[in-house]
Amino acid sequence: MIAIVEDDRGWEDYYRQLLADYDLKCFHDGLAAVQWMDQTVPELVILDILLTGPTGFAVLNEMQSYPELAKVPVIVVSSVALPEDELVKYGVWAVFDKGDMMPQDLLKSVQTALERGRNGR
Amino acid sequence: MESEVFSANSSTVVVAHELKAPLSLMRQLALSLELEQDIDRAHQISEKIVATSDRAIRQVNDLTKIARLDEALFEMEPVNPRMVCDDVVNELWRLFRFNHRELRIEYRNKKRLVVGNRQLLYSVVYNFCLNAMSYGGEELPSIVSVSDKYGTKIRIAVRDFGPAIPTKIWREIKDGFVKQPVEIAMRPGSSGLGLYIAAKFTNYMQGDFGLIRHRDGTSFYIDLPVSGQLSLV
Repeated sequence: MIAIVEDDRGWEDYYRQLLADYDLKCFHDGLAAVQWMDQTVPELVILDILLTGPTGFAVLNEMQSYPELAKVPVIVVSSVALPEDELVKYGVWAVFDKGDMMPQDLLKSVQTALERGRNGR
Repeated sequence: MESEVFSANSSTVVVAHELKAPLSLMRQLALSLELEQDIDRAHQISEKIVATSDRAIRQVNDLTKIARLDEALFEMEPVNPRMVCDDVVNELWRLFRFNHRELRIEYRNKKRLVVGNRQLLYSVVYNFCLNAMSYGGEELPSIVSVSDKYGTKIRIAVRDFGPAIPTKIWREIKDGFVKQPVEIAMRPGSSGLGLYIAAKFTNYMQGDFGLIRHRDGTSFYIDLPVSGQLSLV
């Protein structure tokens, strides 16, 4: 299952359409996502950074604090310019800028991250 | 890392970020439209693009108006607040629907006019609604209401049912003046910029801008004086 943490409903809709072949669980804030991850370990997380309430960084920190969740690949999709190499420390698999992302690039990244995850990274 | 990302906060950054959000979504929708084979779904995507672009254009127009407030181009006149709210809801219901939200109207006032400027009041209500769309939950609709206040004023409010607004932000804006978008930018998409625009226009119309912090959401409101002129509608 892929967890999507995105507070913009327009973007959520977009993901649902683009990733229609995958099992998705969408959250509109980081807190709800973290609470859900207490019980369930997703295969992949697609994460926005500027969220209602705790930011995406809070989600990343929380995930890093649990061994099971720290292994879960995270794809960050945000409007904020973020240095990808810095985010690797947070277990981030890939970073996309909402402004210039190509849908096929995101699809490829999702597919690769899931495959690597299933093969134990 | 987090502090580095957010240390660049300023009004310009917030405005740029909030205008980037609809632009980037439109770009993605346009790209997905190219790939879509199903005519009905393609039509839905096309409608989303229009609704999203309308919103971005209106925000840019409002920013332009703010720059021209000093020129006193916006005359005070009798305005029917119910008609303004009807028009806003009529424009926004589609965007609300795309975002899995609902917007309703409740009129609790006598049919009276306020002293204001129609264009500016429209923008205030529009931005309150956008804010409600961003914050409100899916379970309950956001409510636009018009009610009498102290007999001399009319309150136009937009109530959302979602997470309560943080106390710090409530304290900053409860007394009615939002100095810059960054101070209330709790999230991207609408709130910081939209409320900043609403506060500026309210101030120009010499109305009262404020918010009520509910346990299950927030109401943003503008109070305007009742006009002596009778409404014929």
